[in-house]
Amino acid sequence: MSTSNDGSLTPRSQHALNCFDDLLNSIIADVASECHRIARLGLDRSLEAEEEELRLSQPSDSTRGGAGGTDGSSKHGVDIFGNSHPAVASETFECMNCGRPIVAGRFAPHLEKCMGKGRNARTKTTRSSTVTRSRHSRGSPVSVYAPYSRANGSTSGISEDLSDNNFEEH
Amino acid sequence: MSSPPAPAGPAASFPSPCPHLASYRSSLSRPFRHLRRCLRARPLGLPSIRLDPLSHPHCPFCSSTCAAPRLLACLSCAQVFCPSHASSHPLASPGPAHHISVDLLRAELFCCSCHDQVYDRDFDSTVLRVFHDAFPITSSSSSPSSSSSSSSSTTRKRRRVDFHHWRPDPSQSHLIRTRSTPLHSFTNHPCGLRGLNNMGNTCFINSVLQALLHAPPLRNFFLSDRHNRFLCARRSRPRNNKTDNNTNNGDHLCLACDLDQIYSAVFSGDRTPFTPAKFLYSWWRISSDLASYEQQDAHEFFISVLDRIHDNLVEDQQNSNNNAQGDCCIAHRVFSGILRSDVTCTYCGFTSTTYDPCIDLSLDLDPTHITRHNARNGERETKQKHNKNLSAPTTLMRCLEKFTRPERLDNEHKFYCQKCKERRESLKQMSIRKLPLVLCFHVKRFEQSTMKKTLRKIDSCLQFPFSLDMAPYLSSSVLRSRYGNRLLTAILDNGGSEVGISSGASSEFEIFAVVTHSGRLDAGHYVTYLRINNSWYKCDDAWVVKVEESTVRESQAYMLFYVQKVLYYTAGDNNTGISTGIDEPT
Repeated sequence: MSTSNDGSLTPRSQHALNCFDDLLNSIIADVASECHRIARLGLDRSLEAEEEELRLSQPSDSTRGGAGGTDGSSKHGVDIFGNSHPAVASETFECMNCGRPIVAGRFAPHLEKCMGKGRNARTKTTRSSTVTRSRHSRGSPVSVYAPYSRANGSTSGISEDLSDNNFEEH
Repeated sequence: MSSPPAPAGPAASFPSPCPHLASYRSSLSRPFRHLRRCLRARPLGLPSIRLDPLSHPHCPFCSSTCAAPRLLACLSCAQVFCPSHASSHPLASPGPAHHISVDLLRAELFCCSCHDQVYDRDFDSTVLRVFHDAFPITSSSSSPSSSSSSSSSTTRKRRRVDFHHWRPDPSQSHLIRTRSTPLHSFTNHPCGLRGLNNMGNTCFINSVLQALLHAPPLRNFFLSDRHNRFLCARRSRPRNNKTDNNTNNGDHLCLACDLDQIYSAVFSGDRTPFTPAKFLYSWWRISSDLASYEQQDAHEFFISVLDRIHDNLVEDQQNSNNNAQGDCCIAHRVFSGILRSDVTCTYCGFTSTTYDPCIDLSLDLDPTHITRHNARNGERETKQKHNKNLSAPTTLMRCLEKFTRPERLDNEHKFYCQKCKERRESLKQMSIRKLPLVLCFHVKRFEQSTMKKTLRKIDSCLQFPFSLDMAPYLSSSVLRSRYGNRLLTAILDNGGSEVGISSGASSEFEIFAVVTHSGRLDAGHYVTYLRINNSWYKCDDAWVVKVEESTVRESQAYMLFYVQKVLYYTAGDNNTGISTGIDEPT
């Protein structure tokens, strides 16, 4: 803003200031008019409820637990039923793909290899279900399927598997 | 510029007119109609009074040095004055009806005698009509589902029915007694709480499953036997041994059945942690692209599960692919909503509208916003963390406001305006056309860092309310605010009418589950907080622990699940009720 020697504004600067004042006042009146309408027509949100929620969520002076374990009882004590659990779930059950008993806590990595998925699984070059079944029947003492013979060519379901089995073994 | 969005709560109404306004109205047969030709609507601005470009309206009573911020014109004699000199006008003018004037720049009514801005339904309707005539909104559909929904609007619109309590008749009572098992209700712990074993980096599965298990409409669906895994047609398909190998997509597998099994197990009363192994197996068989041992994103898993359930169930019911209306499967009936997107040409004001279904809302975190809370409570500001996060914690409401805020599309995304017949800069605004029964918010905490070309995690805390009113973010509210919050029972929209929230419909939601992520991007852990009977429980894989509200509020929310407070029923096929969310009729 240019000023004359005695410190007051030049007429041009005064005009510019007037224009600015006009614009600013107009904007203020815009906002005032809009808020007046919202308030009069009952459109304003309940600000008290909003502020209550904000107040409740203000972080307390204690440090915020980054891992979400501020209650502290999860990994050390017992849960609400009075039980505690190991780091790796120990329940065992049968894999629905290969039939082997698997520990629950390691089921996912097993299934990944078992089904032939994932980065680290071996690629299967043959029909995977038969390979897993042959693996199972070779390795496990518990046989889900009927004990097999080396007969070929029959048409029943089990024998079809067996013939495949024979096919795979060489 | 549009006014701030505001909900049309039950209190939204015109106040009773002041006596001056009332007498002005009674003096005319159709008040304010004659003003129609005097009003002018600009593309993105507020309506104003049409002025002769050469005229220079000013208040004759004010000195020339101070210009008045508002100029009013008397409705009866068109005399122009400012608010401070308004009260003298009715006294000085002959005739009865010189009390009401209009703001030249904003088209708002002003009562000279009450010295206050006043509101009138017919005036607002006149203003809206001017807007509508100048800038008609056309509606177009981008996706087949939304086009089918708008064309079959008469068929899909079911009438709302009253809720009736159901009492079983004697044969039903017998069936219930002999063929069902009562849900165990321990006095200490609510039923349905049960830990889920981690099978090896599967906390992303367990966390989402816990939220799904306690989503009331989904839970009710499965617990009331609406998908019985022993009767599922898909599961009982005959298996062909020759073709049934792992490279198939598992035609006989049904994720809904596996989910049904989990519901039965979790609500059985057995409190030892359950292992959702069969579910994992089925999900991997069906979604082979996501099958790997590594930790995955819970939100992606959530989307994948809903998609798979849809695939499994849609075949059974042979329904059309009508995701938007949720008639296709339970997953969409519970989670599917409709988003409205308006793109407005900044040059001519022409707006193009599209509708798209959505099953969740992904929200950007807005960490740079300075809250007004800071400005008013000076002492709080000193307590705020002045380290890495200089701003106050962001809130869910703020994220939603940002979601529904008009956004100026940049030069690269110029929109082809049908009226101007060329590409113009435009404004885009999102709003919610139809709310789902269960609202899932996905907080975008993993953002692509442009510098390092890696994903990084945003740790800032998000405040979220336990009760949420979605009314300000609905299409009706957003549209209304775009027109300066002119209240009307029906905003004309291309011939149809878009009714605002009428009494009886509710947009209020209650939170029931929070999936949180803690730790780093590559070594993190998902945990779900469940709210049952107003108590909060932390479900950390096999561990279920009771926690305080404050723990939940301070956690790093990644997915938030809200359910509608009030369910409404529409007439079902065999006269049974189907719960549905609020639906704004076309």
